[in-house]
Formats: sequence, structure tokens, C-alpha cells
Amino acid sequence: MTDPIRDEWYPVALVSQLGPEGRDTRLLGEPVRVAWHGGAITVTSGGRSLPSQQRYGHVWACPGTPQRPLFDIPEADQPGRRLVDVGLVRVKCSPLRAVENFLDIAHFPFVHTDILGAEPHTEVGRYDVAIREEVDEVWATKVHFYQPQAAKSAAGGITTEYMYRVPAPTVSILYKTCPPRPGEWDVITLFVQPLDEELCEVWPWMALFDDDTPMTDLIHFQQTIFLQDRSILENQLPHRLPLDPGLEIPTRADLTSVAYRRWLKRRGYTYGAQLVAA
Amino acid sequence: MLPYWTPVALSRDLAPLVVMPVVVDGAELALWRSASGRIAAWADRCPHRGMRLSHGFVRGEALSCIYHGWSYAQSGQCQRIPAHPDLEPPEAIRVPVHRAMESGGVIWVALAEPAALPPALAGLVPLRSVTLDAPFDPAAAGLAESGGAWRGTLAGVAVAVLVQPLPENRCVLHVLADGAATPAALVDASRGVETLRRQAEEALA
Ligand code: FES
Ligand SMILES: [Fe+2]
Repeated sequence: MTDPIRDEWYPVALVSQLGPEGRDTRLLGEPVRVAWHGGAITVTSGGRSLPSQQRYGHVWACPGTPQRPLFDIPEADQPGRRLVDVGLVRVKCSPLRAVENFLDIAHFPFVHTDILGAEPHTEVGRYDVAIREEVDEVWATKVHFYQPQAAKSAAGGITTEYMYRVPAPTVSILYKTCPPRPGEWDVITLFVQPLDEELCEVWPWMALFDDDTPMTDLIHFQQTIFLQDRSILENQLPHRLPLDPGLEIPTRADLTSVAYRRWLKRRGYTYGAQLVAA
Repeated sequence: MLPYWTPVALSRDLAPLVVMPVVVDGAELALWRSASGRIAAWADRCPHRGMRLSHGFVRGEALSCIYHGWSYAQSGQCQRIPAHPDLEPPEAIRVPVHRAMESGGVIWVALAEPAALPPALAGLVPLRSVTLDAPFDPAAAGLAESGGAWRGTLAGVAVAVLVQPLPENRCVLHVLADGAATPAALVDASRGVETLRRQAEEALA
């Protein structure tokens, strides 16, 4: 029987940081071991070997039977981009809350003050949201927001355009206008590893056009942002993401979040979710 | 829900423009004081996306949520959504508000209509609040109930102890002391509170 939760791909390690000792971790509440085996990486759980692959700097594993290939990020293979392994941030929250926070721009002025947003530039204009049936993904496009310092490479405030894409329940990909390369999009992803329903490890990863900023600064910039998000994510009640309307009140700025919740519910993806309003 | 006033803080420990988390009958609340000095005790959960309001910030007479900056008037009604500056927030966006009052230098909260006023604490001044990772045993501390508080002496100073129960057999003690005591005696009484805490926690260990 297929289980929409077990049949997904999840990040379990960063290839560049997997040492000879391997990595003992958890996935969906079960112990998982990631290890080198004669030049290859294997992922096992309770003696069983899991389907795995290396892509976008990470090791991906599927606890069940994969129903589709790992989502594609064509930009990852585009020449001229720097691929940035940011590393992991552990967050005591539902993996779904972590993704939803990543899809949200209205919090920038309050949580990432003077970096990704600043009062009085708080307005979120209309944007487009769709569940793209043909690819079974959630997309938000034409998102615009004023930012004091949109990226490490940005000097001064600009209005940034974004697109958000959710290709898998615990993955979000953000495309944002790229100050040094008009016409191209910087790619920033959030790969979430669900350890338990209320505990996750988030692995940000980037594919940028930025030849100048030192790698440590790029990593540090993203880590600063994610630590700010963590202070929110660990303090939302209930801890699990409510999929049924009623408990939390969205507005027009939350259309991406509303579509994400609806899509999760429709796909039966309930790990880290709360179904009936408590 | 218990129909009486629970002590949650000493008034002087909640300055204007400050918000703090408190627990009453197991309910998590955000307790805050406006610029003009008014206090309020609300459910500690923003109706938008569930963020704890005790992490928020006070501006003037309103409390704002730290996540998306929605701000709420004293009535609990949402009055501003920064993502939509021109939108009049619907009536339905409202934080549950609880009864809160100040008396005798103490802040009190009640989840249900209280049957009586908080105890009279005339002649006493606030000393300190202390959290016990243990139940409070007034007899072991030599204190006896009188007029709604536990009374007796600590380090020779007359005190009144108010108990705020917390889940898991923990509690906060709000201690007031004789207003006529010398500053040095109050320092001793404050140490006495610390001793009381240590003894309670050791008795449990
Ligand atoms: S969660 Fe409070 S304003 Fe969004
Ligand atoms: Fe954020």
C-alpha cells in the first residue's frame, strides 16, 4: 500500500559534510544511518536499506517506495551559479510549520528587521497562487516586497520580486530577483528533514549568481535569517500545523499558506499536521 | 476554571511597555502593561498564525504580535494588519481577554467571575517573586493561612505569601513584607525566601 508520507524523498545529510564516521539521525520517528560504503553513500533504517540518491548537495532517502522521481531544480545545473551548502538548523517545530514560514513574506519587517524588510514597508500586494495540477506543485508568483537588504550582494533597499514553489510536502524553493544579473533568478531552497512530528532539521541550500561574496558570508547571512525564524517556529501554538480552517485566521497575504494547507490535506500528507481544530 | 483571583506578578515587575508570559489554572496567558499603565491578561496565542503574544511588543495602548505585527487594542480586538494597511480588520479577529486587576502591589488574574476580592494586604510592601520547582508547604515554612494569604515571619520579618500554582506541582510565590521593616531586614527576609525555595526543592529531591 502506498503511504503519501513514507513514499516521499527527504534530505538526511549534506554530502560535503558527511565524514567517515557517517551520520546517525532520524526520519519520521525512526532511526536512520547515513554512511560511506566503498565510495558510495548508503542509508539504512533498522537494518533495511532505503532508496537513496545524491542531489542538490544533499543525500536524499525514501522510507517507503518512491512513487515519483525527486523533484527537479533545473537551475542547479545552470553554468555560472554558486551552489551553497548552508548546513543544518535544528528546530523544535512541525516540519510543515517550517515550510509554511518559508513561504511567508509578511513577517519580514518584524522578524528579519532591516534585512529582509522594515517598517513602514509592510504592505503585501496581490500575487498569484495556484496548485499546478499537471506537476502537482504549489506555486506563488508575482510576489513583490520592499527589502532594505535583499541579499548579501544587495547594497541598499530595493523592491524584490519572488516566486515560491512547493514541489514536495517538506520542500520549498524560492526564486528571487538577482541584483547582479537582471533577468535571472537566485534560487534559495528549504529542505526539511522531519525527525518527528514536532521536531525537524532544516537544510537551506542556494544556487546563486554571486561571484564576489565570500562563501562564509553567504552561509552566515542565511543562518542569521534562519535563526530568526526559529525563534518564531518554536513558539507557535498549536505546535502542529492546523489543516482545517477555523483555528487560525488568514488574510489575502496568506494565500500561499492557504493553498499549501489545502494541498497537503488533499494529498493526505498529515505528518506534523493537526486535522480537527482543538 | 476557578472563580478566584490568582496572583501572577508583583506590580513593580511589570513596567509599562512590557509583556510577559504567565500561567493561570494551566492556561498560558500574555500579561502586558500599556504606555499609560493599564494591564491586560490575554490568551497567549495570536489568532493569525498561533504565535505566542508574550513574545510581542507594546506600542502605546496596543499589543502587537512579533510574527506579522498584527496589533490588538485593549479590548483584544485586532486594529491593524500591517500587510494590508488600508484594511479595517474584521470583528472576528479578536484575542480572548481575561479579567486582570492590581491591588496591594500585586497583579491578579481570574479566568471565571471571582466570588471575592483579592486579600487585603495593608501595611505590606512587595518583596519578591520566586519560582519553586516543588509544591509549597506552608507548614514547613512556619506559615499559617490568614485573610487569604499565608502569613508568618521570615528572618524575623512579618510576611504574606501568595501562591500561584503552576502545572507539574510547581508554583510561584509572591512575597510581601512588613512595610515598616528596615532595608537591612528586608534583605534578610529576601534571603529567607531563597532559603524557603531551596528547602522546598531539597525536600522533593
Ligand atoms: S501570527 Fe501573529 S501576526 Fe501573524
Ligand atoms: Fe523568515
